[in-house]
This record gives sequence, structure tokens and C-alpha cells, in this order.
Amino acid sequence: MFFTSIAMFFIAPFVAWKIHSRTRRTDIEGKKGIKVLAAYFFILNAATFAVSSYRGVDMRGWNPFTTTVSFRIKYMVCSTVIGVCLARAVCGFLNRGITVAEIRKYAARFFGDMKKYFPYAVRAAKADLKAEVTNSFLDWMWWLIEPFCMMLIYTVMFGVVFDAAEEYFPIFIFIGITMWSFFTRGITGSVEMVRANRGIVTRIYLPKYILLFSKLMVNGFKMLVSFAVIAVMLVVFRVRVTGSVLAMAPILAVLFLITFGIGSILMHYGVYVNDLSYITGILLTMMMYLTGTFYAVAKRIPEPFGAVLEKCNPIAFLIAEMRNVVLYGQSLDWKLLFVWCVLSVLLVGIGVFMIYRNENSYVKVI
Amino acid sequence: MKEKKNAIELEDVCIHYSIMNHVSIRKTFLHKKKRKEVFEAVKHVTFSVGEGDILGIIGKNGSGKSTLLKSIAGVFSPNAGRIDLKGHSVSLMSLGVGFKDTLSGRENIVLSGMLLGFSEKEIEERAQDIIDFAEIGEFIDRPVRTYSSGMYSKLAFSITAMLETDIMLVDEVLSVGDEQFRKKSLNKMKELINDRKRTVIIVSHSISTLKELCDQVLWLHDGQVRRIGKTDEVLGEYAAYMAPADRKQDGRRV
Repeated sequence: MFFTSIAMFFIAPFVAWKIHSRTRRTDIEGKKGIKVLAAYFFILNAATFAVSSYRGVDMRGWNPFTTTVSFRIKYMVCSTVIGVCLARAVCGFLNRGITVAEIRKYAARFFGDMKKYFPYAVRAAKADLKAEVTNSFLDWMWWLIEPFCMMLIYTVMFGVVFDAAEEYFPIFIFIGITMWSFFTRGITGSVEMVRANRGIVTRIYLPKYILLFSKLMVNGFKMLVSFAVIAVMLVVFRVRVTGSVLAMAPILAVLFLITFGIGSILMHYGVYVNDLSYITGILLTMMMYLTGTFYAVAKRIPEPFGAVLEKCNPIAFLIAEMRNVVLYGQSLDWKLLFVWCVLSVLLVGIGVFMIYRNENSYVKVI
Repeated sequence: MKEKKNAIELEDVCIHYSIMNHVSIRKTFLHKKKRKEVFEAVKHVTFSVGEGDILGIIGKNGSGKSTLLKSIAGVFSPNAGRIDLKGHSVSLMSLGVGFKDTLSGRENIVLSGMLLGFSEKEIEERAQDIIDFAEIGEFIDRPVRTYSSGMYSKLAFSITAMLETDIMLVDEVLSVGDEQFRKKSLNKMKELINDRKRTVIIVSHSISTLKELCDQVLWLHDGQVRRIGKTDEVLGEYAAYMAPADRKQDGRRV
């Protein structure tokens, strides 16, 4: 009994370590092996703790020696499964091992490059917006007309035909569409971004994520224009607006970060994998229906999936919070927003890391 | 005698392309083996260029000249070896600095300049000079995708010619445009080169251009340094090497 309560923490890290060393022996020599083992130990146990607390196990006063046998077995199985997946993922996706020095080098480079290329990104975004305006018939008015028309379509279809209206339905939909189209345009554009800009990328060096950053700024500007329309609609519909509206800024910031993070990862893979744009198209369509663009996720999707989805789908969460804050005057769920902020920063880190590591070879492939 | 400082140093530089066919999901699922062929474009190249020197690079097609130039310009890093630019700014003058087709020529001047490391203010000051040199008239305000190839090259040339960087890499760009523009660009090149602080590397197929402009010539053959030395010597050997090929192609010539 005593033995198993200690062993349950160590079995999964050991299994993961074994898998890792069998697939990549060079990673596990000497001191490095111990560091890897320690890393697995912490990550796997933290992950299993998170899972068990989510499933309702009371973590306060939790004592490994007083847990039941069935709990220990479940713990071991859960952590081993996570461990196997993690080990295979790490070995599968990384051709070379990552060192802390490399991470630090890229982080320093990231901040330097952002400062250096930020004026370029801004200027390119402005130029793109101006080009859109000069080339089209109704020029900048389309930035208002298009989301407005989409909103009318959805309001009629879901509000009247399917009779699924929520309070202040048109604004409800408008918020959903605006934020969703920012995300979707960013992701769809990022997959082919390096190839689309091959003219620039093959002649001069620039960190490839700057292209994505510039595009997101263009989309972000259009989103802000839509929010101006939303502000007008709030007045027209005489919605009671409280001070919690100020929480709009952090919500939009996290939306930007998460789009940037996922987009930069997809941009990297999009250079090598031809079919990626098809896959992202399908996944985004599926996600649109699971994100509550035109319905409230928590209400429509049966329990318990509704609540889970709203928490686990970041865009659904952000859209729901935005509606809460703007339409219903509720206060923001800061804790969960912070969690997603940290996760977005992590995604940005992964994307930027992969781009820095591999961007030399992009030019030779496209 | 004051020891001359080097502006560019290359040490044992190797660059290779892995000809990996694009991965498609289907092939990955069926676990088809990825044939990874490696084409070595540049093999163990070592040389250095002093400040203010003018180096010419000559070699037949496919000998790695453009690859080497792109690597010096920083478009990608070499797979092995070291390229040291001693902190100098560098620009690559090739056919097109990479324009965004939907934007006007004027906007592209600013954006290209920013990518080359100049601030917006510096570019705006020189913008009118660039536009005047390019001689494309009112097209400067129209989207670049409406340009003819001649206009495109003229604009590209004038941007890199006017925004003067410490090191200039010229990739076979002195032969574009009509006779009048060609004369003008050659004169402008001479003016830029004669600035004794600017280091220039010129890639060309034209022996006469290199003879006129360069102090030293590097002969790159199949990615390796075949000869490097004074202009006349190297160009003489290169001409001798290329001559028999002339006779083979046109058997009747004596």
C-alpha cells in the first residue's frame, strides 16, 4: 500500500522516459537524461492533478496515503496515457532536441525583431487597407456593409425561421460574427502566407511572422470598425451598458494573441504540407458551429457538453464573455481569461520558436 | 602600411537544398518513404573582401552564384560555415526587390526601403530621387501588377541604387531596360562603386562588364572556388575554359 502511493507518481514519467530514449537515444545521455526525466515528472503529475481536480476530486487535504486503491489505479492509468502521448508528440515533432539556451536566444531575438519590424508591419497594414479602398467600387463602406448584411441574414434565419432568438439578437449575432471572422480570416490566411509572399521572402530577410502580424492588424482594424457599428446599435436598441464594457480591451487582446499563436504554427506547417489548407477549412467550418456564433453555446448544446465547450473552445469563451460584458452588463471571468491569456502566449511562443528554427529552409522549399 | 579591414568574410560556407517533395497528407498516412535528395549548391567556399573593394563573381549557370549572394544578403543562413558582414548594412540588387503587387510603386518604395533597414523619414527624403531615376511616369501611383517587366526592373534598380547601403550585392541586373536606361544604370553603378567606402560584389555573365568595374574576380564552378585573383588573370582563364564549348556548339566555326 505504501509502495503504490509513492510509485503512482513515478510510473508514468518512467514510461515516457523509456519511450523517449528508445526513439531518440542522443537526447538521454548523462545529465540530460535526468533533466528530461525531471521534466516529465513535473509535467505529467501536474497534468494528472489538473485532470483529477477537474473531475471533482477535492484537492485540499489530499493525502497520497489515504486515497483509495481505485483512485491510485486511475491516477496511474491517466498519467501513463498522458505520458505516452506526450513522449510520442515530443519525439515526433522535434527533429532536434530543444535546449534552454536556444529558447532564450529566440526569445531575445523575438523582442528585438518585433521592435525592428513593427514600423514595417504598420506601414504595410496601412498600405494594404489603402489599396483595398482604392480598388473597389464602394471602397471602405464594404467594411460596414458586409458584416451588417451577414447579421441580417443570420437574424432572419435563426431568429425568425428557426425561432432561436436571444435577447438583443441582432447585436448578439453581430458580436459573434465580427470576432469569429477575425479569427477565421487570420487562420485561413496564415496557412498559405509564406508562399503567397514568395516575392518578398525570396529576396530579402524578414522574420516570417511579421507578415502574419501585418495581416492581423488589417483584420483587427476592420474588426474595430465593426465594433463602432456595434456601439451605434447599442444606442439604437437602448441596451443598458455598464462599466464592465471596459473589459472589451483585454478580451480583444487575448483574441489577437490566440489568432497570432495558432496562425504562426499553421504558417510553419503550411510551407511543407500542401493539403493543410483543406484541413483547416474543414476544421474551421466545424468550429464555427461549435463556437456559438449565432446561438448561445451554454444554452443550446445539451449538458454537460455545453459548459465544457464554452470553457475549452477559446473563441467560444471569448465571444460569450464579450456578449456578457457588452449586452448583459455582467462582469468578466478574469480567472479563465487569464488562463487563456497564458495559453495564447504559450502558443505564440511555440509558433515563433518553430519559425525561427526553420525559416532558413522555407526559401529553399517554396 | 595601414592594414586593410575586411568588409565581408566567408569561411568554409556550405549551402545545400534538400529536394524534398512537398509532403501531402495521403503520402504520410501511407508511410511512403520521403526521398530526401540533397543538392549541394555551395561547397566549402572561403574568401574575404576588403572594405571598398569590388569583387566580381563569374561562373556558368547553376554554379551557385545567386545562392551565395542570397546567403550573404541574409535571405537564408548557410548550412555550415560562417558569413561575417562586420556589422555593415547590405542590400541585394536583383530583378525585383520583392514588391507587393497590389500596392502602388510609391508605397513599394517605402516598404522595400523599410525592409532594407531605412527609417520612413530617410526614405521619404529620397523618394523623389528614386521616382525621378526610375522614369516610369505616372505609373508610379498605379499598382505594381500593371507594370511591364521593364518598368518593374527599372523601379527595382532605382530603389536599391538610391538607398545606399554599406555593402551592395548586384545580381545580373545591369542588363535590363532599354539602351538609354542601361547606360544610365551603368553610370550610376560606377558612381556608387567609386565611393571608396562601399563594398560591392557583382555577379555577371558579361566579361566586359566585370573587366570594366571590378578589382578582383572570383570564379565559382559547381559551387566551389575555382580561382580568385586579379580581374584580367581570372577572366582570361575563364574565357579560355568557355571557348571550346563555343566551337562544339557551332561546329563550323574555326
